[in-house]
Amino acid sequence: MSNPSMNKAMLQGVPAAGFRGWLQNLENPKYLQHLLLAPVLLFFIVWNVIPLLWLVGLSFYKYVLVTGEPLKFVGLLNFEEIFASFEIWHALSNTFLFVIIGAGTQTFLGIILGFIFWDSKDLPGRRVALTLIFTPMILAPLATGSFFKIIYDPVFGILNYFIQGIFGVTIDFLGSSAWAFPAVLFVDTWMWTPFMMMMTLAALGSVPKAELEAAEVENLSWYQRLIHVVLPHGKFILMLGILLRTIDSFKSMDIIFTMTRGGPGNATELIGITLYRQAFNAFTMGQASALAIIALLIAIAFTSIYLYVFKKKEAAA
Amino acid sequence: MNKTTKFFLVLLICIGIAIPAASFAGRMDLKGEKITMSILGIAGWFPSKLGVDMSPAFAEYAKKKYGYDVQFTFEEAPFETLFQKAAASLATKSDDYNIIVSDSQWLGGFAAPGWIIKLNKMIDSNPSLKAIQWYDPIVVSTYMSYPLGSDNYWGLPLEGDTMVLYVRKDKLDDPAERKAFQEKYGFDLPKTFEDFETLTYPNFVKILEFFTRPDQGFYGIAQHYSKVYDFVCTAAHNYIWSRGGKIWDNKTGQVWGVLNTKENAKSLEEYKASLKYAPPGAVNYGNSEVMEAWNGGKVFCAIMWAAVGQYMMEPKGGKPMIVPPPAHLINGAGKPNRVYSMGGQPWVINAFNDKTKQQVAEDFMEWWYTEDVQMEFARRGGNPVIKSVLNKPGFEDIKPWFRGYKWMLSDKKGRDFWHNPMYAVMLAKQQEAFHAYITGQVKDPMVALNYAAYQLQKVLYDHGSSKIKPPAEGAKIQLK
Repeated sequence: MSNPSMNKAMLQGVPAAGFRGWLQNLENPKYLQHLLLAPVLLFFIVWNVIPLLWLVGLSFYKYVLVTGEPLKFVGLLNFEEIFASFEIWHALSNTFLFVIIGAGTQTFLGIILGFIFWDSKDLPGRRVALTLIFTPMILAPLATGSFFKIIYDPVFGILNYFIQGIFGVTIDFLGSSAWAFPAVLFVDTWMWTPFMMMMTLAALGSVPKAELEAAEVENLSWYQRLIHVVLPHGKFILMLGILLRTIDSFKSMDIIFTMTRGGPGNATELIGITLYRQAFNAFTMGQASALAIIALLIAIAFTSIYLYVFKKKEAAA
Repeated sequence: MNKTTKFFLVLLICIGIAIPAASFAGRMDLKGEKITMSILGIAGWFPSKLGVDMSPAFAEYAKKKYGYDVQFTFEEAPFETLFQKAAASLATKSDDYNIIVSDSQWLGGFAAPGWIIKLNKMIDSNPSLKAIQWYDPIVVSTYMSYPLGSDNYWGLPLEGDTMVLYVRKDKLDDPAERKAFQEKYGFDLPKTFEDFETLTYPNFVKILEFFTRPDQGFYGIAQHYSKVYDFVCTAAHNYIWSRGGKIWDNKTGQVWGVLNTKENAKSLEEYKASLKYAPPGAVNYGNSEVMEAWNGGKVFCAIMWAAVGQYMMEPKGGKPMIVPPPAHLINGAGKPNRVYSMGGQPWVINAFNDKTKQQVAEDFMEWWYTEDVQMEFARRGGNPVIKSVLNKPGFEDIKPWFRGYKWMLSDKKGRDFWHNPMYAVMLAKQQEAFHAYITGQVKDPMVALNYAAYQLQKVLYDHGSSKIKPPAEGAKIQLK
């Protein structure tokens, strides 16, 4: 009969030889954990870390893809040019507006819709309504952009057909600097409010029924229930939703690119579009990399602020 | 048989062998081989598709003439991303695309890194290619040369293209319209091709004004204004060049002081003013939007490429006529002048092709410019460029836009821009500046021109394409 404690000691302390020994090592949880993590780590290193390091490196070089010339080290010049550029500051300011107004509105509307559909199993037509509400979120952004471009068209668009019929005027939604930004913001909100609604429903679903029933027995008001029962349980998921929307809005470009390409002029120019244009229209890879690094740092800052606030509130609670 | 007779007999045999051999000298013998060629074309662009559609006919030609089997695979990307797709492949020295449909301005971008082959040697060594007579010198400068206007050839024209004016013939023929116009402006509406040959821009504007009727959902003009690709630049260049201005000095690379002039500012003002007669939303008009407005029966006329004539023949509720675009007046008051942007695309050959594919590409080019193929191309709606076809009696009647196309295909009436490796960077900067002005982001056209001139000069100086340093004060110019 073998002694299990002795076997364990052998496995941990004595290096086993050959393939058999290697297999035996797997019985050690420490080795097994590393082995199981290895594919993911490898994937992460190959697809995330190496490209990121490459991007950081490239940001210090002048490199225009189409000249065929070798990379030229320029130090921080790409960053200096970015910070001195009015166009990039403008795009950044547009982006922040887009994030704050967009994610804010979507969160607000999503929460309202979430509450409407919370615990509404007996509501007639609930399934159809939910399916319809969630549809925008599952559409491809390029398709969404394309059909809203047609809807908004001042000559052929259906929206202007009605506006013309009712008010006798035509609004150039995507061609006017005053209208273009709200118009694209509306499309983004139309598309992503369902996501915030879904997060709200998930948050509300995480509230234990027993606590809700207890609140009812205690005769707590709706507001008290929200503050003392719903929010403590649901805020984790809701915060995650807001964080995801913020980051996603920040890097938004596909819908706007399809509808306005950042125009008219620079009215809807977001940092993602500027980045695309620098990389794939002008092929100035060095400067595009520098801009991508700045965008990445801003996204990280967003995440950190959220997590900091979140942890602080959690500690306070 | 005496010695002399033997000598002549041997000589005769040698000559008999040498003549056919000489005619194939330098040619790789591909007899019996099976080859697959790939072509990268422009998605949604009729002429490119036509070139691609016709290419299987080359297989018959190759089999018959050279004895090898060839088949083609095709890939496409839209204008604005085709260069990106090709560049990404060529930068890795790939031969994914053996033949590429390029835009003329990209020649520098493809040539400078050594991604495409320089064709001078191929043309010189191939009697068929060497013998081609192009319709006009502008064909060579636009579709073949880099640097622009040099004798270094990097492309061969797939098709020629020029700007033409599509007008509503039904409106021009309408007696009530003609009478009302005559009463209001004191001269007759143009009616024939010849009338449009002499039409000046100031009179053209009156026609646009006359036909702009927003209450009826009908407008004067559709032309390019969009920020996408090169749309706003190509249209603005029509105004700048036709009014006697320049955008740069091709030889020295000088932009500052050439582009940002008061005269060019006036040209931009005139270009922007045309928006008054365009449908709402026209600031986003590129090719497809112009075609939609025209085909939807929303505009009286459209300044557009001849290449898409095939798709502009049935404007809703009307009949089309294709004529020369209006002549501008030099500096707004001088002699009538017409210099419009050149369109069209060349074929270019991947420098990383192996010798077999290189040979097939050469054979393909040889086939493309045979008169029969060019005539077939024309019959299908493509714009050929060889003299023998364009000068054929009846050529102008093959397609309704051919007369206008041929009339505009001249180095006096057309111009291409920036065959420079930095083209993409330059275009991005100038598009940004010009679009900022026409959309009102920048109120003063001089600001847009100064910005573009400084940025372009900087790009060229930094790259080494120009020795002219951008002025330091230019760095402060912003598009606001």
